[in-house]
Amino acid sequence: MLSRVAERVYWLARYLERVENTARLINVHTGLLMDLPRDVEIDWFTLVTIFDAEMFYHANFEQINENNVMQFLLAEPNNPISLLNSLSAVRENARTSLDILPEETWEQVNELYLLVKNEMAAISNRRRRQQLLLTIMERCQTVWGILVNHMSRNHAYHFMQTAKHLERADMTSRILEMTSLLMAENRSESMRAAEGILWTHLLRALSAQQMYTQTYSSSVNADGVLTFLIRDEAFPRSLFFSLKAIGRYLWPLPQSATTLEHHQKIMSEMFNENLKELPAEMIYTRMDELQAKLAELSSQISQKWFHPDRSVA
Amino acid sequence: MSMMQLWRDYDPGEFYDELMHDQHQPRHFSYKLLDYLKSMRKEAFEQRIVDSELEILERGITFTVYSDAGNIDRAWPFDIIPRIIPKGEWDCTEKGLVQRIRALNMFINDIYNDGNIIRDGLIPEEVVLQSKGYRPQCKGMQPAHGIWAHICGSDLVRDDNGTMYVLEDNLRVPSGVAYMLENRKTTKRVLPELFKLLHISPVNDYPSHLSAMLASLAPDDITHPKMVLLTPGIYNSAYFEHAALAQQAGLILLEGADLTVGNDGYVYMKTIHGLERVDVIYRRIDDDFIDPLVFREDSTLGIPGIMQSWREGKVAIANAPGCGVADDKVIYAYVPAMIRYYLNEEPLLPNVPTWMCRDPHQLQHVLDNLADLVVKPANESGGYGMLVGPHSSEEQIEAFRQLLIDDPNNYIAQPTLKLSVSPTSCGDHIAPRHVDLRPFILSGKNNYVTPGGLTRVALVKGSLVVNSSQGGGSKDTWIVDDSHFGGLN
Repeated sequence: MLSRVAERVYWLARYLERVENTARLINVHTGLLMDLPRDVEIDWFTLVTIFDAEMFYHANFEQINENNVMQFLLAEPNNPISLLNSLSAVRENARTSLDILPEETWEQVNELYLLVKNEMAAISNRRRRQQLLLTIMERCQTVWGILVNHMSRNHAYHFMQTAKHLERADMTSRILEMTSLLMAENRSESMRAAEGILWTHLLRALSAQQMYTQTYSSSVNADGVLTFLIRDEAFPRSLFFSLKAIGRYLWPLPQSATTLEHHQKIMSEMFNENLKELPAEMIYTRMDELQAKLAELSSQISQKWFHPDRSVA
Repeated sequence: MSMMQLWRDYDPGEFYDELMHDQHQPRHFSYKLLDYLKSMRKEAFEQRIVDSELEILERGITFTVYSDAGNIDRAWPFDIIPRIIPKGEWDCTEKGLVQRIRALNMFINDIYNDGNIIRDGLIPEEVVLQSKGYRPQCKGMQPAHGIWAHICGSDLVRDDNGTMYVLEDNLRVPSGVAYMLENRKTTKRVLPELFKLLHISPVNDYPSHLSAMLASLAPDDITHPKMVLLTPGIYNSAYFEHAALAQQAGLILLEGADLTVGNDGYVYMKTIHGLERVDVIYRRIDDDFIDPLVFREDSTLGIPGIMQSWREGKVAIANAPGCGVADDKVIYAYVPAMIRYYLNEEPLLPNVPTWMCRDPHQLQHVLDNLADLVVKPANESGGYGMLVGPHSSEEQIEAFRQLLIDDPNNYIAQPTLKLSVSPTSCGDHIAPRHVDLRPFILSGKNNYVTPGGLTRVALVKGSLVVNSSQGGGSKDTWIVDDSHFGGLN
């Protein structure tokens, strides 16, 4: 497999996962804000902070309001992680990998891109926007369905799965950062009153509510949610599951030993301590660290397989 | 409203019509198609057009137009009314195409080796040397099976009495075959009923023939050669085709930067496993750019040293470097002579009558009749830099007169053919539009000709320019078995 092709399918998968996660997060967050009293510490801008994109936001918008935040996260050309930019990256990578992906992949991706691009004019309309986000999630799942059901388990597949789980772990850790708001000692009375809704929200943002309820036939609470989203071994969007999957898909790649060691180190650092007992602000720090480690792992993958120093035969 | 009414107004006029015998009567092989189309309601027909446009947009079938305003990705222009050629006629055309490419390959091999045809006085040496595609670096090469032009896209046109002529032989990096495949897929999706009525020769096995042909070129008798398609990249106008062919023929799609020549002289690609040897390269970049050590130094698309690998037989390249020598409008005039010389056969497909301006008598004839002729530079493609006498102003004609006098060797002239037309949907009516046909011929160990090919159509009324870069469209082309139809033609 060509290094350049490996790089393209890797980023295709990362962006595809990012598009779906972004759509879900915004969709769920919109639902949450409809339920919350106005004086809670969570608002539209919380979304921007989840993506660590405050700087980009202020460079493009003065006021903070629903319209601007949505414009920024979904359509803004100057926001490198806006959903439309991510989707466009999926499209460009699919277009240049036509020869190794099942042929419906490109058709689906192209169709989705054209659809989203057309609908972007209507995102200030909350109903149309929510509808569009649902469509995006469905279509992303269609693409994954094609890949999982039509693609040989070759290296292209391994790179795509590695990328998907890496992106997913990154997103889960970002959503878990919100727990520092939810668990802060000095949180407002309204926040305390809305606790149940908020923890449920966290689950829903990772489409984890149903599986959580099945696993713990108890009410939603901080302990349960943290344990489930961080350590659950069976739920495919928990941190543990995603990180473990990264190792599983890295393993068959050529000369993967050093990268696997690095991965193992991240795993043990992450799961050897009991995060539940950490104070809220420490969870935030841990998640921040994890994101940095994942970024480092990604650049190691890039150096090893996409841009190695080569000696000529 | 039924479509019957629109067809009632259809009139091909003085031109040969691919589907109609005259204004009202379809040809014997197009009755069923026409019956079907006429029976549709107008709204239903228009819906099929919308479906086909959507299909093309969503499948991302595009080509790139270079312009001052930047490069634009345009949706592939497609007319849903197919063009039909009866199988009986096509079988003869196919034989003619194979005969022609055999002679062309023998010619290329000859001029880079023994030069018999020059020595025997059939073609002057300076005609060969003036061809922009001539590459002295290829002298003495003997590619596998003696084949240089592995993939050829010939342009065929029909005149007003229905004779099919070869207009040119595209031997360098002919494009269009993926669009032929896409046109058939689109027709199958939007007009599936028609495939019940007629037996239409399938075209979708082209990629497997391409792959088998390329495999037959592999050096050292390798049984599972590594085969790649070398593209200039995503900004090339035919990138869609490169990607589609690579996908369908199982070739690895790559760019020059993905390849390197090792110290052992073999060609390698850069993979996640390290370097892997490449045996066959289907290149979609021009000779000029393929190796900066041998041709253009400023090329960033090519692979330094690859010509040496090829010369040493360590890698096969299709089409072979230097094969463009025969893709020249002056050389074209000699193809019938080549067929007689190398094969000792009479040409089955005629050339368009051609005056060579390098001959003073012929030049005089051309200068005297400029307003009626088409004048073409020897080495341009895509319809650029030519004069179409009857469609040109006095000033344009005079400008060309000067060009011809200054540099006669670089020009040929041909009569303005009354190109055939085919019914085409044009907004709210059906109108005759001029068409040509580009079949694709593969030559390796064996020959293969696509049944039909890519029909290009000039969408502008009266226009003869079918090139997609200049507003041309395309049609699905059907080779239909007419042996049991009988009746009039």
